Amino acid sequence: MNRRDALKKSALALGAAAGAPTLLSLLQACAKTDRLTWTPVFLSEDQASFISSFVDFLLPKTETPGGLDVKTDVFIDLMYAKTYDEAGQNQVVADIEKFNADCKAKFGNVFAELSPEDKAACFKEHEANSPKFPKTVWGGAVGPREPVGFYRSLKSTALWAYFSSEEIGKNLLSYDPIPGEYRGCMPLSEVGNTWSL
Amino acid sequence: MANFNIDADKNLTYDAIVIGSGISGGWAAKELCEAGLKTLVLERGRIVEHVVDYPTMTLDPWEHDLRGGLTPEQKAKHPKGGRSGFIGAMNEHFHANDLENPYTEVKPFMWVRAHQMGGRSLLWGKQTYRWSDLDFEANAKDGHGVDWPIRYKDLAPWYTHVEKFAGISGEALGLPQLPDSHFLPPMELNCVEKHVKERIEKDFKGRNMIIGRVAHLTEPLKGRGKCQYRNRCDRGCPYGAYFSSNAVTLPAANATGNLTIRPFSIVQSVVYDEQKGKASGVRIIDAETSEEIVYKAKIVFVNASTLSTTQILLNSTSNRFPNGLGNDSGELGHNLMDHTYRVGAMGTVEGFEDQYYKGRRPNGIYIPRYVNLKDGPQSDKFVRGFGFQGGGGRSGWGAGSNQEAFGGDFKDRLMKPGPWEFFITGFSECLPYHENQVYLNKDVLDKWGQPTLSIDAEWKANELALNDQARQDAKEMLERAGLKDIMEFDNKHEMGFGIHEMGTARMGRDPKTSVLNGTNQVHGCANVFVTDGACMTSSSCVNPSLTYMALTARAANHAVSELKKQNL
Repeated sequence: MNRRDALKKSALALGAAAGAPTLLSLLQACAKTDRLTWTPVFLSEDQASFISSFVDFLLPKTETPGGLDVKTDVFIDLMYAKTYDEAGQNQVVADIEKFNADCKAKFGNVFAELSPEDKAACFKEHEANSPKFPKTVWGGAVGPREPVGFYRSLKSTALWAYFSSEEIGKNLLSYDPIPGEYRGCMPLSEVGNTWSL
Repeated sequence: MANFNIDADKNLTYDAIVIGSGISGGWAAKELCEAGLKTLVLERGRIVEHVVDYPTMTLDPWEHDLRGGLTPEQKAKHPKGGRSGFIGAMNEHFHANDLENPYTEVKPFMWVRAHQMGGRSLLWGKQTYRWSDLDFEANAKDGHGVDWPIRYKDLAPWYTHVEKFAGISGEALGLPQLPDSHFLPPMELNCVEKHVKERIEKDFKGRNMIIGRVAHLTEPLKGRGKCQYRNRCDRGCPYGAYFSSNAVTLPAANATGNLTIRPFSIVQSVVYDEQKGKASGVRIIDAETSEEIVYKAKIVFVNASTLSTTQILLNSTSNRFPNGLGNDSGELGHNLMDHTYRVGAMGTVEGFEDQYYKGRRPNGIYIPRYVNLKDGPQSDKFVRGFGFQGGGGRSGWGAGSNQEAFGGDFKDRLMKPGPWEFFITGFSECLPYHENQVYLNKDVLDKWGQPTLSIDAEWKANELALNDQARQDAKEMLERAGLKDIMEFDNKHEMGFGIHEMGTARMGRDPKTSVLNGTNQVHGCANVFVTDGACMTSSSCVNPSLTYMALTARAANHAVSELKKQNL
């Protein structure tokens, strides 16, 4: 059994512990695989489907591209695959399963299957209950700090994955790879959006 | 740039050997080569040629497959240096592998190392300030440590010498506690920094807030380009706009035709000749083949970086020096110092919402020391003082993580810059304490079977009192400047976080209490010079690298003059 299969199995076990899967939910899981338009390298299809729906609800398409348009979900899966160690990967899988189990308990279904109203209620509850990231100075946290939990951590990862994508970084934010000068004061209207880099 | 001559083995004898190619080693190589000495630079890591070996220097986040993220395998190589928070995929290749180079923390100490040509000169903060007699007289005045054997006037011409070549940008202010350098034009403060500066200088007599003085070119200099405000310095600068050995001193040394640099050369010891009463050369281990080779020279400059230099001296034992080269005093390895880190305050500034800036300035603001000055008020809680670094800017999309919002409007709002934020952090002087020390650990060997270092050092009451004052003062200044949501902080980082290790082979007037004399020569072994951070007798609160450069140029020129007089 390779590591990914093992993780999937343990994830299933965790899911079972959190709320025994019914035949119906297994059927839904099968149905969902058709809708996933990309092949995850680390996550199971159900877990990937959760990430996609999370990203889409956090960063929907407006006049500007949505999270899914710039493959925010695909990159998050890659991050889990390539930058997390095994303990970190196990934790992510457990966190996703727990998030979905909580959704089921409160709203009757996994996150991806909820109505927009229920998704909003779910996010609002997590926003209210998730500690904030500490301030940072030179890349290090300062001041009081406590673990932000899975919701805010994933939100932060999704923002990073979205805004560091080429489409957003080059075409939406103000992109200037070689400024050539420093101007300490200038009207924001001359720049427009936040600097990309 | 011409390739470097790395064929050291054709010739085992040189006029001079320089151990290490970082900030001070690069300067030693340049000065010695330009004086006509055939010079061998021994570098424990690989060759890093300017521009050629900067693989990430122009990469945008999306051009890296993990957008700057590290793999678990990469992270695993940096259990110690990784604590700094500075290691990412764009610079990981410039950080030493902690697993191959272990050290023991008797008390917590973060030791950041960079084992390649150029060393930490590729990664440093570039803040460059002259020290003053407030610093050089401090030990003599309050009795901590031993007296420096030099004063500001001894070093002033050498500061000018290195500044003209390195290129230091800044504003001349005539402050006695922070002498002006030979300056290139200063970088600019932004709107909010100018605002905070006005308020602080108006409300606090004797305090100044200035743009940082930095080793970044604001005008082209000797073939190097000026800063392009990309702020990607730690990947290596394609313009050579910031000072590094790779871009500045080693090419100058190479241009003389007198330089040989030998990579993968781990110095085992300086070889002492008992008959002649001086060093005859340096014994190395080839990092790739493990072969041992002895190179000979008339003089040896040890510039391996503070703690590595002392490690080499401790490992250089002989009948004359059974406890390490130059260790008659028993002070070798002792009096380790650093600067405190991440203590200060931050807040937001209102009223500039329609203003922004252009460019990613690799620099911030500096508030020079204002406590315990010669003619100012004296604290009864501590001796010495602190200065502040910091800066202001507008928050970006990252602020969205903490906002209790989501959805389309939230996403589109994050395209615009957020509030202005401003912070300052204090850098406090550390006193030299004999008990803050390093020593050889023969139970833990490195990849090449060499003894490693144990580090046993901690902040004491004076440093903690300085930090308390720095934190309170930071908060008070931001309050009086009208900032909102002010938060004070003190991370209480262990020693090493300042990455300003100093001492352990100090200069002094008396061989009984110091390791080096007033021209950085080892007491009792005059043809060995130590001019990196190990030589420092006190730590000031001011960033030390410019002082290493000046001390090195001064010592190298003294060495050349003594060689000519056949005194070495």
